[in-house]
Amino acid sequence: MVFSTPLFLFCFLTGTLFIYYIVPRRARNAVLLCTSLLFYYWGEQSYTVIMLLSTAIDYTHGLLVERCKANGNDRGARMAVASSVIFNLALLLFFKYWDFLARSLIDAGLPVLPVLGIHLPIGISFYTFQTMSYTIDVYRGDAKAQKNILNFGTFVTLFPQLIAGPIVKYKDLGGQIDARSCSTGRFASGVQIFLLGLSKKLLLANNVAQLWDSYRAMPASELSVLGAWLGVLAYTFQIYFDFSGYSDMAMGLGRMLGFEFPLNFNFPYIAGSITDFWRRWHISLSSWFRDYLYIPLGGSRCSKVKWIRNLFLVWAATGIWHGASWNFLLWGLYFFALLLLEKLFLLRCLERAGALIGHLYTMLLVVIGWAIFAIEDFSQLGRYLAVMFGFGGVPLYDAVCIYYLRSYGGVLLLCALCSTPLLKRAYLALGRKAQQVIGIAAVVCAMLLCTAYVVASTYNPFLYFRF
Amino acid sequence: MKQGYFRIITALFCIFFGGTALLSVLLPKQTFSPQENRNLAAAPVFSLKRVMDGRFMDESEAYVSDHIALREEWVALRAWCERLSGKQENNGIYFAADDTLIPRVDEPDGQKLEKDIAFLNTLCQNAEVPVYFGLIPSAAAIWRDRLPPGAPGADEDLWIRDLYASADAQTVDIGSALFAHKDEALYYRTDHHWTSLGAFYGANAVFDAMGLPPLSLEDYEKTTVSESFCGTSWSSAGARWIPPDCIDTYVPSDGVSVVSNFTGKPVEGSLYVPDCLTQKDQYAYFLGGNQPLCIVTSPSGGEKLLLIRDSYSDSLAPFLTERFSEIHLFDPRYNLTSIQDYIEENGIDKVLVLYSFANFAQEKNLFLLAR
Repeated sequence: MVFSTPLFLFCFLTGTLFIYYIVPRRARNAVLLCTSLLFYYWGEQSYTVIMLLSTAIDYTHGLLVERCKANGNDRGARMAVASSVIFNLALLLFFKYWDFLARSLIDAGLPVLPVLGIHLPIGISFYTFQTMSYTIDVYRGDAKAQKNILNFGTFVTLFPQLIAGPIVKYKDLGGQIDARSCSTGRFASGVQIFLLGLSKKLLLANNVAQLWDSYRAMPASELSVLGAWLGVLAYTFQIYFDFSGYSDMAMGLGRMLGFEFPLNFNFPYIAGSITDFWRRWHISLSSWFRDYLYIPLGGSRCSKVKWIRNLFLVWAATGIWHGASWNFLLWGLYFFALLLLEKLFLLRCLERAGALIGHLYTMLLVVIGWAIFAIEDFSQLGRYLAVMFGFGGVPLYDAVCIYYLRSYGGVLLLCALCSTPLLKRAYLALGRKAQQVIGIAAVVCAMLLCTAYVVASTYNPFLYFRF
Repeated sequence: MKQGYFRIITALFCIFFGGTALLSVLLPKQTFSPQENRNLAAAPVFSLKRVMDGRFMDESEAYVSDHIALREEWVALRAWCERLSGKQENNGIYFAADDTLIPRVDEPDGQKLEKDIAFLNTLCQNAEVPVYFGLIPSAAAIWRDRLPPGAPGADEDLWIRDLYASADAQTVDIGSALFAHKDEALYYRTDHHWTSLGAFYGANAVFDAMGLPPLSLEDYEKTTVSESFCGTSWSSAGARWIPPDCIDTYVPSDGVSVVSNFTGKPVEGSLYVPDCLTQKDQYAYFLGGNQPLCIVTSPSGGEKLLLIRDSYSDSLAPFLTERFSEIHLFDPRYNLTSIQDYIEENGIDKVLVLYSFANFAQEKNLFLLAR
């Protein structure tokens, strides 16, 4: 099930909240587990078994790790952690990467693996990472093993963050699963954040998505330089408002149910460097790779060669995590190269060059990055990038791109404004009374407009089914 | 103070989402949406098998989307927002100049069209009577100066020229006939069809190609039968700010007899069906709407014409009655009989394959031409 559908908003969500708040407190986890399983089963049917299997195996591994540790058997505990990691990675590898590997080998003239046509279960990239973090956290002593399988199931399947993140680590959520407080204040702030996310998705992301779709479908010979930039800029806003919109919706839904999820996006497009960008973009993913891959490998506290290797591995993994295709790997390595250069000398240069240069430099590279991310076919990507930089033999601008600029100029400006913290700062600078009036007006407008868009539009592509 | 604010937000959320959900459940359900001209999704059927294979879920999603309370008001609200944000189109319909709504015509599939022309050429070879072929450009082509500047769309003139060049049939230059009068009301402002006036110029282009004498507009008196026509473009765009359209007729139906076949059984029909003016799709006033086969007999004499056609010919038929004794309107979307046999069995003298460009590009049953 997807958040931005009438069925979710008016049936599933209203029904779930109603039941959740009329049952006694101790039954709430059971309600969440049941509704979350229904939520997942709705879209994936038999693949729900895989998620249940993953839940059961990590639950037993967590207990095993803790028992070994209590007995002073560190070797046993390590074995259990390794077994859990191997199991989760095997699931991910098989369901997400098998066909990609098989096809790539066939393309390389090595038809050793059969292409199986495997369906990618939604959210597998998210829940395998979450359950993996659990056993590791228990081993490290960052979290206690969950004794109650019902509670552990609730952690894994929790519907607000099940299919598009954020990747919530067990050490951050475990305590809240056992006990959490619900209040009107928390619920109301959840409503506001949820509606903010829903508006980002429906009013901004879906809107500019149509612009990008028009340009993606155009043959390179029909593009213009301005048009190519317009298209990739639309994608830049689409992916940000889509993804951060989902994270906001998850965070808002979480709060409405009494949970507190960590912040996943912190205005990434105002970053002053690529290093800064990755501290602000999909924070839960980059911190996962930092905690469970980069630092265990030795991080930066080792020889320079090893450090570069660590960085390379982390960014190759980040790239390919986003989808089983070579362009995602290229995208990850593109950021590896940029981050390496920044860490070696570029950051010092940027500091001297001033803030404006830093912002321009960052956005330019991020936008080029999104072109690599969005266009899977390398020859098409090459042609598109060539057009962007004036090597496509096409005009600077044409009537079509002027048409699109007129149609989408307003929305694009709104997207740019909403990518900065300006509105948030203006709101916070107001007096309490003004804040409340604006808050109420915004909630009403968001509900009306989102309903209009969700009802009127059958256009509702979901970008993250590939994760 | 703060607590009061939290209560208001919580209450607003619960009232809005809970209220909409409740209203949607309680309000009586429609089975047909006249605005969208389609049947709305039926209630999902629950069974273990349908749940296991996901059919129940798909049906539920469609059902909830189709039956949300105030659905049409939500659609209109979105159209307003799109327009206010600077959009020049909604749902594939351009907001053109002079309160005109013009459907966008996308680039067609060239390979599909190539095959269809081959079917047409087979018909030309097989038929022992002359075959004519006409494509009616859409409003997006004839009224391109009303479109928002730079609005993307297929170059219909170029496509039609190419298709005519590879067709063995005698072609009818409808594009030039319409373009010569492009400042007149050739198409409805709220619908994709041509008006009776557009059909009049189209009819003369057909007569010209066939060597028949043209009709003169001065011989007719224009009758306005409706001033409340909100057509398919109006519904798709959700553009409620566009005033309704008029429907005019020119040719009186005196002496013309019509045999319609809406359900496969022949019934007495009429050139004009006034009952249709009370429904949403008022264009069905002409001949009563879509049907597999319709035979129009006219007292004015002349040859027998087989017209293989789409709905544009509904408003063309009245003009054709002036030059033909019988017009057989054959719609391959609903009629799968052999055209070859039909020509022989009914003593047809001329065949005209006449489509709007957009419909021709979409039509899937043109293989029937070769049968």
